[in-house]
Amino acid sequence: MAQHDIDRVIIGCKKGDEGCFTQLVDIYGRRCFGYFYRLTGNRDLSEELLSELFVKLVEKISSYRGGSFDGWIFTMASNIFHDHLRFKQRQTRLLDGHSKRIMSQSAGTAGGKDDDADKLQMALGELDSDVRELVMMRFYSQMSFKEIAESRREPIGTILSKVHRGLKKLRELMG
Amino acid sequence: MDEAAARQTAEDIEKGEEILGANQSPGPDERVLAEVKKSVVAALRRQRTVVFQKRILGAAVAAAVIVASVLVMMRYGNTPAGNQQTRLIASSVWEGADDADVTVLKAEIENIQSELSGAQSDDGGNGSNDIGDLETELIEVNGDMWKG
Repeated sequence: MAQHDIDRVIIGCKKGDEGCFTQLVDIYGRRCFGYFYRLTGNRDLSEELLSELFVKLVEKISSYRGGSFDGWIFTMASNIFHDHLRFKQRQTRLLDGHSKRIMSQSAGTAGGKDDDADKLQMALGELDSDVRELVMMRFYSQMSFKEIAESRREPIGTILSKVHRGLKKLRELMG
Repeated sequence: MDEAAARQTAEDIEKGEEILGANQSPGPDERVLAEVKKSVVAALRRQRTVVFQKRILGAAVAAAVIVASVLVMMRYGNTPAGNQQTRLIASSVWEGADDADVTVLKAEIENIQSELSGAQSDDGGNGSNDIGDLETELIEVNGDMWKG
């Protein structure tokens, strides 16, 4: 979909148009689901977070003041992911070594994809949680390193270094 | 970072992202997207209801304030409390000024002031001494007055 069409949909959403909101789900739903799935490795949880994201979007759309909408929505998705971790008190489990086991198990139950996809899910589980999240943010949001650095309030060099390290390790694990 | 290192970093990132692109995550079911759309529409309607209720509540509060103000004005409109209080304060000040001691002191000050003006207009040789004495007297009287 062309950028000006997306802009038109966003303007409609800001006016409270139901049709535009459902269009927004069509545009971003799959990407955001992919982002959540790669972070959690759990389909049900990803669906839950996806629904939460779009409900939150209804509440917050008036605060969107232009700029990269992809950056805006994925920053919100990242916040929802972290809120969820805090709320469920699963942060430790998901972010430390246990996450590897959880992600390996969930990759097996995710279903519907070939072996390479499962292998990727397991390889992602080998990355540090922070690095994994950055790699996913970069891939699914298509944000520039500068935008990611701004949204996370971290130096661009740090972001670049983490993403590079993560993707390099991923290549080795997948190789 | 030198040019070669930068080129290597860019290549690593590009190839890593190619792996991600080649191994897409499973997509959500259409049923899930339909559920999300339903949730969004429900949230939107809920939000509209809340906004509407807030507007109604705001209008009701505003109307109540207006009615209360009109009732108060109808009841007390002819005797504004503010004016009454101002007049009371002013009266007490003037009543205080009739105090006998103050009157005596005021008369004395006026007397000294007239003597002072007379001395200042006098061309005599000891005029400056008279003025000094009178000024000292005036300062003393003034001091007594404010001490009460």
